Amino acid sequence: MLSIQSVSKTFFPGTPNERVALDDITLDLAAGEFTTVIGSNGAGKSTLLNIVAGRISPDRGSVVVDGEDVTRQPDYRRARHLGRVFQDPLAGTAPDMTIEENLAIAHARGKRRGLGLGVTRAKRELFRRELATLELGLENRLKLKVGMLSGGQRQALSLLMATFSEPKILLLDEHTAALDPQRADLITRLTAEAVERHHLTTLMVTHNMDQALRVGTRLIMMHEGRVVVDIAGERKRGATVQDLLSAFEQVKGAELDDRTLLR
Amino acid sequence: MIGAVELGLIYAVMALGVYLTFRILNFPDLTVDGSFTTGAATAAVLITAGTSPLLATLAGAAAGLAAGVVTGLLHTKGGINPLLAGILTQIGLYSVNLRIMDGANVPLLRVDTLITPLRENGLLGGAASIAIFGSLAILVKIALDWFLHTDTGLALQATGDNEAMIRSFGVNTDRTKIVGLALSNGLVGLCGALIAQYQGFADISMGIGLIIAGLASVILGQAVFGSRVIIVSTLAVVLGSVLYRVTIQIALQAGLDPNDMKLVSAVLVVIALVLPRWGVFRRVGALRSLRRTAATTTSPGGR
Repeated sequence: MLSIQSVSKTFFPGTPNERVALDDITLDLAAGEFTTVIGSNGAGKSTLLNIVAGRISPDRGSVVVDGEDVTRQPDYRRARHLGRVFQDPLAGTAPDMTIEENLAIAHARGKRRGLGLGVTRAKRELFRRELATLELGLENRLKLKVGMLSGGQRQALSLLMATFSEPKILLLDEHTAALDPQRADLITRLTAEAVERHHLTTLMVTHNMDQALRVGTRLIMMHEGRVVVDIAGERKRGATVQDLLSAFEQVKGAELDDRTLLR
Repeated sequence: MIGAVELGLIYAVMALGVYLTFRILNFPDLTVDGSFTTGAATAAVLITAGTSPLLATLAGAAAGLAAGVVTGLLHTKGGINPLLAGILTQIGLYSVNLRIMDGANVPLLRVDTLITPLRENGLLGGAASIAIFGSLAILVKIALDWFLHTDTGLALQATGDNEAMIRSFGVNTDRTKIVGLALSNGLVGLCGALIAQYQGFADISMGIGLIIAGLASVILGQAVFGSRVIIVSTLAVVLGSVLYRVTIQIALQAGLDPNDMKLVSAVLVVIALVLPRWGVFRRVGALRSLRRTAATTTSPGGR
């Protein structure tokens, strides 16, 4: 469903600040696969996500969504196929607009936006049903401006908006990192439910190893722009945080050895 | 005084255009001063050439629309700062307007305009004219309310509210900005065409400082009548425009010099901007929301 082929990206090339963010990454996600991505700061996780979303264009390589090469498409065009939830709970919704208007905007993803009313009675019923799945009582507050909601509520709404129109790919960019632990747990649970319900092919970046192990069907660890661990199925289910940490130490250790040898 | 109400209702069309860019699109568009005169000049020249007044008025609106598209292209495709893009179009339009009129003004005294039937039947300056101009303003208000609630309109609202978000839902924000600016300046051009016919001439300087009148109307209306939802906001803008003209009329009758009116308008807008920054007034919600209207270029919530 999502295919990232030999993608490389270097920031500030040819300057003293040159930084290789992605080093010839190839990654294929099958339809319905829920992949979590972990790695330390600067490992290239966010760059990878932004390249898929079209916020950053790669130096080399291509991004293919469901057989369509989208590498040269601007972000808003490929957004037809992509649902996104951002780290900042305020980023995914329009604060001065009502809950139902926000949902109407999300509902129109991938369709031609014409001069029909954005919120109709039929759509309002749909929104009410969808909001009820969040179990936050928002289904009774359709006309409330989103700016009045708490961060957790807004992130739950963002998640619903990103998923209920069934995009081909769901991109989650550390979307629980800015929330308190309780809210983060809620959003993690809602994410798993939504992905399950809509069979979404998902790429989720996270800092939290425990979370990366708990959800998803496949786990990728990145380090210095490369994929260093890639486990799925049984192996992922059996893995522990300790396994991940030692795998990480091993990678770093191997690198250290290389450098020592070169000297 | 009834004349002031009439004027307020006609100028409400322009104020709704200003509301669309400043408040909805969050784009401080200064094209208005130029596109207003362009609408007036286009309509006046066409009417004196024998075109039907209705067609000429619509052509004035179309000319304003085109001016808005230019500003939109300068900003989105040219990457020019919104304020500067508007000023560039406005300055360019000054020459264009002189060309359209082939001089500094076009009189409309001996030709039939949309206003002529009202004047000949003695309907101006009474309840009938207020009803007619009032229905026009309300009609434009309702059309704007409807448009802003369509799928396209919601995308336009979101462009002003959270641009990154609406792009992530597949909307080309360059396009929504151009559409918003075109519509806004189309309304301003329409208003210019009507004012030219109402006052009986188009003049190169008739648009100067208009943006401040528009802003003052939006601010005044929202301070007095509120701005919680769009249908209330747009009604407030229409009433604000009337209130603004009536206030000016009262000031004139009190003996103030007409030449000082621009300064009075500017000071009014400045007060609305500055008051929310002072301690006592900071907690007044209505004032804070006003600040957002006019202070679109400063950082949000700047203490």
